[in-house]
Amino acid sequence: MVTPEFRERYRARTAFVILATTFALLFSIVVALLAMDQHRVLEASQRLQQDTIPQIIRFQRLARNLEQIRQEGERVFSATTPEGRQQSLFLIMLVASHPSILEHPQSAEAAREAERFLIETGSVASRDASKIALRHAEWQNFSKRLSLLVDDLSVQGASLANDDLNDMVAAMRLARAKLVGALILVGGFLLLLILLLNQHLIRPLQRIDQALSSLRVDQPPPEFPDARMAEIHAVEQATRRLHDSLAANEAARRELELLANRDGLTGLINRRHFMMIADAELRYTQDQGKPAVIALGDLDYFKRLNDTYGHAAGDTVLRAFALLLEESFRQSDLVCRYGGEEFAFLFPDSTLEQARALAERFRQRVADHDIRLADGLLIRVTLSIGLADASKSPIENALHDADFALYEAKRLGRNRVIVATETV
Amino acid sequence: MDKLRTLLLVLCLVAGIAQASELRVAIGVQDPAQLAMSGNVIPPNMPGTELISVNDDLAREICRRIRARCTVSFVPFNEVLPGVEDGRFDLGFGNLLRTPERDKRFAFSSPIWRSSSRLLSTPATAEAFATRLGQPVSLENLRDARVATLEGSLQLAFLNAIASQRGLTVVTRKTAQEVLETLRDNTADFGLMSVLSAYALLNRDTTRQIEFVGSAVADRGLGGTVHIALPRQNDALRLSVDQAIAAIRADGSYQRIARRHFPLGLD
Repeated sequence: MVTPEFRERYRARTAFVILATTFALLFSIVVALLAMDQHRVLEASQRLQQDTIPQIIRFQRLARNLEQIRQEGERVFSATTPEGRQQSLFLIMLVASHPSILEHPQSAEAAREAERFLIETGSVASRDASKIALRHAEWQNFSKRLSLLVDDLSVQGASLANDDLNDMVAAMRLARAKLVGALILVGGFLLLLILLLNQHLIRPLQRIDQALSSLRVDQPPPEFPDARMAEIHAVEQATRRLHDSLAANEAARRELELLANRDGLTGLINRRHFMMIADAELRYTQDQGKPAVIALGDLDYFKRLNDTYGHAAGDTVLRAFALLLEESFRQSDLVCRYGGEEFAFLFPDSTLEQARALAERFRQRVADHDIRLADGLLIRVTLSIGLADASKSPIENALHDADFALYEAKRLGRNRVIVATETV
Repeated sequence: MDKLRTLLLVLCLVAGIAQASELRVAIGVQDPAQLAMSGNVIPPNMPGTELISVNDDLAREICRRIRARCTVSFVPFNEVLPGVEDGRFDLGFGNLLRTPERDKRFAFSSPIWRSSSRLLSTPATAEAFATRLGQPVSLENLRDARVATLEGSLQLAFLNAIASQRGLTVVTRKTAQEVLETLRDNTADFGLMSVLSAYALLNRDTTRQIEFVGSAVADRGLGGTVHIALPRQNDALRLSVDQAIAAIRADGSYQRIARRHFPLGLD
């Protein structure tokens, strides 16, 4: 089985050129076949006009002349005077001499024999008029022969026209059959064209349209059935690449967002991000009618630590402190580096007492925690924390109160937790 | 005002006359007496008038169709073709058959009718020759005889061609009537003529001195289609004459003219 990757594909233009050429070829063949019939009809009508009709006219004239001989022959017998008989005889001689009779052997012979018989009859009559009646029975044979010839010529003329007309009718019938065939052929070809267009162009385009409309980075890349048209395949590939590109962009965006929201040193969220999400979280908690607490913590004598052990040691302390923070608080609690050695907290769904216990426990943990500096020296730091109830006040007010409490904690000797309400 | 109207009328008439062309028509006569009647109508009781009249009527009908004025001249048969050739006549009528030789010298109209030739003689001469030959006389077996025919005719050309072989003495005359006279006065034994021409002359001849002998012949240049001769250089005239012939055939005028003078269809 051929795998889709190696499957042969056709360029749409080539495919349509082939289809159009095939159609044009088939159509030309049909037109040529019809033209042949048309030519045959034209030939037959020309033959009818140029040959047959003049021939029919010749037959008619010939028939007319033969009939005139027959009628004048009758007059030879019915004439009452020798002059009348002679006049008829003379006219018979004239008509029998007409080229139309001379060129038709059968008529020429019949006319010659009738003429001879009638001239003899004229001679007999000039000698004894009474004997003419005896020859009339014999004349009937000549007369009958001439009549039959006249009939034959009439039929012959009609037959000639019939032959040409039959030829025309046959050609027209054939042309009609060919036309029906051509109609079926063209209809079938158009149907095939529509099917091919639908299968290889319209439906793939609809699929691509659908895929593009619902293209999302959180969805898997679009899947397409294998397309036979190179152009469609290319657009499908491009759609897949677009999805990959969107996914890559989204990943980059997330990375950038992360970088923008986090503090580079501690990995904790930064103040800007904290303010944004803490505000939203606080509003939600307040809406739910639940308690919440805001806290501000500050490492004690951190400037002195920096001055004593250097900024690298300060950074190590901050990182170690951040690790302790992450280990010590619930996932629902928000902690950020508020600035320098200052940290902010939001304890949603916590009463002031619960928060105070938590803060106290953490303060104690920090105070007991040894931090190893790069040079192996172990040091300890302490933390002052100010707490403020945020169950009803906006975050800014709560922060202000917490800051005030923190100030109080510092003032009262550091390494302690002070609740804002206690100082108010 | 009246003067102006008269002037306009005269101008119109002059313009009309100037537009109408004039055709000089030559018609071969049957009888020498008809030569003096140029421009006049041949009296209907004269011998052979049917053939002249049918030509005359046809010529006038053609002239009418092509809006030309006809001036008819009655001339001996042997003057018709030379007259057309040297430009004295525009149309030549005379039961003229068409041959390749004549085609080189003249233009011919489309056919007007068909003609054949037949021997003529007195019954006594025919019988005498039949006895001598042991069979009825015909053009095929005719020999050792004096045969009369028209000057300048194809019958003369035919007779000249076979004269020495058959021992024939050829006698020529200017008109058909004169050819028949040679049979009556025994200057010739047989006459070889167009059947139509002979019929026209003999139809009303109650003496019945002359009769047709043998079968009519339409081959060997002695029969075929009859045409009007025209000058070779005037093709426009030939075309308009052909159109006129087609028109008078199509509307039945031709048939009426033929039937007016002959008791049969000529074509």
